[in-house]
Amino acid sequence: MEQSKIRNFSIIAHIDHGKSTLADRILEKCGAISEREKKDQILDNMDLERERGITIKLNAVELNYKGYTLHLIDTPGHVDFSYEVSRSLAACEGAILVVDATQGIEAQTLANLHLALDNKLKIIPVINKIDLPAADPDKVTKELIDLIGFEKDEIILCSAKTGEGIEELLNAVIERIEPPKSISDKFRALIFDSYFDSYKGIVTLIRVVDGSISVGDKIKMMSNNKVYEVLELGKHTPKEKSLKKLSAGEVGYLSGSIKSIEDVRVGDTICKSGEEVEILPGYKEMKPMVYSGLYPIDSSKYNNLKEALQKLKLNDSSLVFEPETSTALGFGFRCGFLGLLHMEIIEERIEREFNIDLIATSPSVIYEVELTDKSIIYVDSPSKMPEPIRISSIKEPFVLANIFVPSEYVGSVMELCQDKRGIYKSIDYIDQKRVNVTYEIPLSEIVYDFFDKLKSYTKGYASLDYDFIGNKESKLVKMDILLNGDIIDALSIIVHKDFAYKRGKIIVENLKKIIPRQMFSVPIQAAIGSKIIAREDIPAMKKNVLAKCYGGDVSRKRKLLEKQKEGKKRMKQIGSVSIPQEAFLSILSMDEEEKK
Amino acid sequence: MRSVYIHIPFCKSICSYCDFCKMIYSESWADTYLDELSVEIDNYYENDEVGTIYIGGGTPSSLNNSQLIKLFDIIKSKFNLNHLKEFTFEMNVNDINNELCNILKSNGINRVSVGVESFDEFNLKFLNRKHNKKEIINNIKLLKSYGFNINVDLIYALPTESFSTFKSDLNQIIKLDVNHISTYSLIIEENTMLYKNNIKSIDEELDYKMYDYVCKKLKSKGYNHYEVSNFSKDGYESIHNLTYWNNNEYYGFGLGASGYINGVRYDNTRSLNKYINHEYRLNEFIVSKKEDMENELILGLRKLSGINVYSFYEKFNENIQDVFNIKDVVKKGLIKLDGNFLKIPEDKIYIMNEIINNIIK
Repeated sequence: MEQSKIRNFSIIAHIDHGKSTLADRILEKCGAISEREKKDQILDNMDLERERGITIKLNAVELNYKGYTLHLIDTPGHVDFSYEVSRSLAACEGAILVVDATQGIEAQTLANLHLALDNKLKIIPVINKIDLPAADPDKVTKELIDLIGFEKDEIILCSAKTGEGIEELLNAVIERIEPPKSISDKFRALIFDSYFDSYKGIVTLIRVVDGSISVGDKIKMMSNNKVYEVLELGKHTPKEKSLKKLSAGEVGYLSGSIKSIEDVRVGDTICKSGEEVEILPGYKEMKPMVYSGLYPIDSSKYNNLKEALQKLKLNDSSLVFEPETSTALGFGFRCGFLGLLHMEIIEERIEREFNIDLIATSPSVIYEVELTDKSIIYVDSPSKMPEPIRISSIKEPFVLANIFVPSEYVGSVMELCQDKRGIYKSIDYIDQKRVNVTYEIPLSEIVYDFFDKLKSYTKGYASLDYDFIGNKESKLVKMDILLNGDIIDALSIIVHKDFAYKRGKIIVENLKKIIPRQMFSVPIQAAIGSKIIAREDIPAMKKNVLAKCYGGDVSRKRKLLEKQKEGKKRMKQIGSVSIPQEAFLSILSMDEEEKK
Repeated sequence: MRSVYIHIPFCKSICSYCDFCKMIYSESWADTYLDELSVEIDNYYENDEVGTIYIGGGTPSSLNNSQLIKLFDIIKSKFNLNHLKEFTFEMNVNDINNELCNILKSNGINRVSVGVESFDEFNLKFLNRKHNKKEIINNIKLLKSYGFNINVDLIYALPTESFSTFKSDLNQIIKLDVNHISTYSLIIEENTMLYKNNIKSIDEELDYKMYDYVCKKLKSKGYNHYEVSNFSKDGYESIHNLTYWNNNEYYGFGLGASGYINGVRYDNTRSLNKYINHEYRLNEFIVSKKEDMENELILGLRKLSGINVYSFYEKFNENIQDVFNIKDVVKKGLIKLDGNFLKIPEDKIYIMNEIINNIIK
């Protein structure tokens, strides 16, 4: 295919600024979907994606417009997946930057824009949702000009909903975005995503940078030198269209009896076996940032959980897991995730698609612990934390957080950041009404409840983006939770010494609310070492009876009993106490209590 | 000997908490209904001796006099009543008058159950009951003069009531000096006006406090606490209701009624339309031995006297201790063995569901 007739681009946006709707409209305009096939948001494949309104796994489609071949590469819309975003952007020459006409520029808009500029992409700024009554395109135009430096005539106004401006946008894609260029005839391609297909095995999504590849060729993954034969090539239109060959500039899929997702690494370079080429820049190994223990509530489902994780891993190389044992929860897995959202998605998929009720322990980051003998260990779970006497120092991961917020909330955002052990960096006024606040904050605080808090402190007006910046030393201790006098290992957490009392108090209060009354009263305690720092008591159950029970009520009573029994099954029996799943996550939620 | 329950699904007004099978009274519907009831009895009654009859509702006293006479004619002409021990009729306070009493008396009713529920004006309004305190006192007096055994129902733990209103209600119930009292803490069932109005139950602690108070107070006034919600003077336990708690068989006739005959538990349709088209049964379940033993336990433990372990063995040819996890709960003091009886202690009876869920394997 003639490269001058190809345009490769992505759409980048802050969440909810209308990226998926715009993609749908573009597909429709190019005739890629008929009215009958129109399901809202075609590119979001998984139910979960559609429900949560975010794209998790990438997708790439080939479109035809005015004699040009356009490849639209979708990007995930969440900070957890920023590496994946950067790789799909690396597969493009241009990007459409979507900004909501009612919201203006947000933290993620800028974060994504920076990723795009890092990849030297041509940016087409688009103001979307101009049909809404609250739209203020003039103000947003001004923001784009003042803050990012666009020129007024570059900015396209559109409404993905009504279709206004879409044609102009597509023309701009053709006119402004550079066609792909090659430097050599030797085949070279970038992997920007992969997924598992039950017929084809592991399928990789690639951008051919140089040369071409045909079915039957032998290829090599440059990061690990694994060699495969190409069995199938093709493109999504969005339906799969199988092809004999993919050439420089094209975006498509490749499959070739690849068994393990770990062999296919996003950002890796593919070349032909036996040829020497230079590796494409930007490859990084993905490392999990957040860890959590996943346990089946029904302990007989351990093997099912293992299978579920293995299956999910087929599609998701960033998921890592290894067996873990807890005295409270039995056998489970310590799992590593890219971030909180990634974790939630995996948990939800296990429960939904594999039908396994889970208990997830409170998420933890990786602590770098220096022992008294000067050796360094990495701890991804509170239960693995050594005795205090053996520790000489603990370092924890920090992020640089960028928060965009209306100026009236600057005070509360700073207060929150301070509360979360943040280190002040800067405040920049974007205009008179909006401010970009930056802080260095421990990742563990972000993982804890920072985002929820941020939203409630700013009535939902703040947006957040962050980047990992390295480990820093902190005064941290392990806090245990005791139920009925027994330590529940799965509830232990690492906290900053100065916050331990407050956290302990809130945790026992929350647990008191969540754990249902038992037949006997149950004390809940928080402890550091042998020192109890907080206590609450769950009063004994007082009423659990069907007051009326006559002739017709027998079956009713049986149903009630069964329902109660079912409810119990969803809880974990630890000693004589039944604990619902939420208890293990309640460690996370602070509610309003904190403010008192 | 089996018992017979007959359901009269008609009411003059609908109580806010009621989720039973009921509809607003209409004379012609009630006429048709009684004809159909007669056919249902013909279809299913096995001509065996009847020990007790309970006419409940709905509101049986909503029927007019000729309908009442027709109902009793059906009963007397169809059932074998040679050994009838108890014959109960349910009624609203404001339906009680000499005419009604005469009809009941002359047709063999020896026990009446009256929906008193409360003496408090606001409570009664909340429950959508149409009587007042004065009517209660006068009409109970009238019933007594006919020599009926009397049960009165009391509802407490209304979200609108204070502890002192509750105490006053209880004292006035005691003052009526009847030989049987049923008290229920308000349950907000789906498909009731209360549920639709999003009314929430009172706090569990307060509910228990009231229950505990009821039990102690009635005991001090000479009432035996013989079932979770039932109290009686010596010898006046409801024989009919004990049929249920003893897991014995009974016929249920009428719209929405349930029965247990020849090892089969069934529910009747709640649709009048189906009923008058002779589609009486909604469902039938054969009770397995396991379920039967569980029912024996679930129902039997409602009685403060508990379950006779020898009777259990005779009935099922199995030891109750082998069938259920009794040991643990005995150790925890949630169940005790008292002579031949396995029972839940009175101070634990209010959490019996939890206990049973710990027993049933």
